[in-house]
Amino acid sequence: MSFKDTLESGKFVVTAEVGPPKGTDIATMKHDMEILKGKLDAVNVTDNQSAVMRICSLAVCKLALEHGLEPILQMTCRDRNRIALQSDLLGASVLGIRNVLCMTGDHVSAGDHKSARPVYDIESVQLLQVVNALNNGKDMAGNDMKGATSFFQGAVVTPESNPIEPQLMKFEKKVKAGANFFQTQAIYNIDNFKEFMKFARKFPVKIMAGLVVLKSAGMANFLNNFVPGIKVPQELIDEMKAAGKEKALDTGLNITARHIRQLKEEKICDGVHIMAIGMEDKVPIILERAGLL
Amino acid sequence: MIISKKKDRGKLLQTLDRYDSFYLIGCSECASLCGTGNDEALKEMAEDLKAKGKTVTGMIVPKTGCQTLGTKVELKKDKDALDKTDAIVVMSCGAGTQSAVEIYPDKAVYPSNDTMFLGNMTRFQMFDERCTLCGECVLDMTGGICPVTNCPKGLLNGPCGGTKDGNCEVSAEIKCAWVRIYERQKRLGELDKMTEILPPKDWSAKQAPHKLYTRGDAAEGDRKDKK
Repeated sequence: MSFKDTLESGKFVVTAEVGPPKGTDIATMKHDMEILKGKLDAVNVTDNQSAVMRICSLAVCKLALEHGLEPILQMTCRDRNRIALQSDLLGASVLGIRNVLCMTGDHVSAGDHKSARPVYDIESVQLLQVVNALNNGKDMAGNDMKGATSFFQGAVVTPESNPIEPQLMKFEKKVKAGANFFQTQAIYNIDNFKEFMKFARKFPVKIMAGLVVLKSAGMANFLNNFVPGIKVPQELIDEMKAAGKEKALDTGLNITARHIRQLKEEKICDGVHIMAIGMEDKVPIILERAGLL
Repeated sequence: MIISKKKDRGKLLQTLDRYDSFYLIGCSECASLCGTGNDEALKEMAEDLKAKGKTVTGMIVPKTGCQTLGTKVELKKDKDALDKTDAIVVMSCGAGTQSAVEIYPDKAVYPSNDTMFLGNMTRFQMFDERCTLCGECVLDMTGGICPVTNCPKGLLNGPCGGTKDGNCEVSAEIKCAWVRIYERQKRLGELDKMTEILPPKDWSAKQAPHKLYTRGDAAEGDRKDKK
């Protein structure tokens, strides 16, 4: 069953992330794909994440298809103008890619080509509208196309954003612009997330909670201090500390598995999106401990 | 006003080294307020050139350097000094520099400044960029705060996920434009405007080089409107 059909059937879905490497050596990535095959409903392929130059998302999505994984093409507006975005979307469509995640994209100042000219010709809300237009056989300028796309489009939201109100207003715009599903920025506080879900449930969209695996207490502190929109509660940091260096990663995997279990059992949201960040091969362990394999 | 800053003096003097004599042109408007093209700045430049063994044949701070015709009239008064010089150093913005190029097509003209942005002077010689001259103003929809300029991504429909405690992901010194817009529209009771999706910008409105004639006898409008 396709990712779209599974999500719409009401089944609790699981996606994870593959970050394309910098360079042409894709051995590790292929290995990760083999490990993830058959265990996920879809796999996100990031688009030059953190504005660091890597293999393009489109090519890796095609590789994912070839490895039996259903890809979600992450598309940011940072590096391409409206012509390139639409052109890549058409290209993705003919290659058999059916899911697209529309994002604005981290600013180039976060990445490894800081002198680059950021594009942002359009942004996430408008990109969602563009995907709608392409699905209806028209390009963004209103021209008729020979053959339409049939994308299932998603967007992102940051439930821990502070202040939250403007973020929620943007969430509503994304729904209005045609987002079918949302994958959230990493969440660690399930009670806070429940509050967000009270709001999100008012809209006819599917919500997948974003989960980033903690590797150490230091990483948790780093996320709190430097990554916008992520808040790791003190009790989780304490739990990581108590585990000690040896058991830290194992504890991080347990925490993620525990959160998945709670989100699913209490029917808090429609699925989870696991961001293992370099530890894609550990995703099956998480799923096993969460009782999903 | 147009904000300019002085180029690295050492590198500039190196570039100018191929000439022996110079005439300096400042500007009494923006460049004077920036301290890059006022009397003081010109005198300092003259000293630096003299210290390198160069001759300064004259200098002037015209009223408005980018007003080509007016500047041409002012420069006429200094015709001898200008005739004698090898090169002209313009100490204003890029527009002022190109006024001089137009007035003296056969003389070498060099800029002493980098032209930065259209800015507001918030305190003496402290400048903030507020407008990017996008050609299609959205301030009516954004509580009078420009997201095209104040948001490094120029987002038109709300904050990105990078906003942290009301600050921007690019720098904690930048307040998130969309948090500011939200707060202001809330105060004004105009939050409904934040629910409206703003369409993609028509960047052709920013298509350089612009031309705009609005004078009665020569009114032609913007080049773009004529297509």
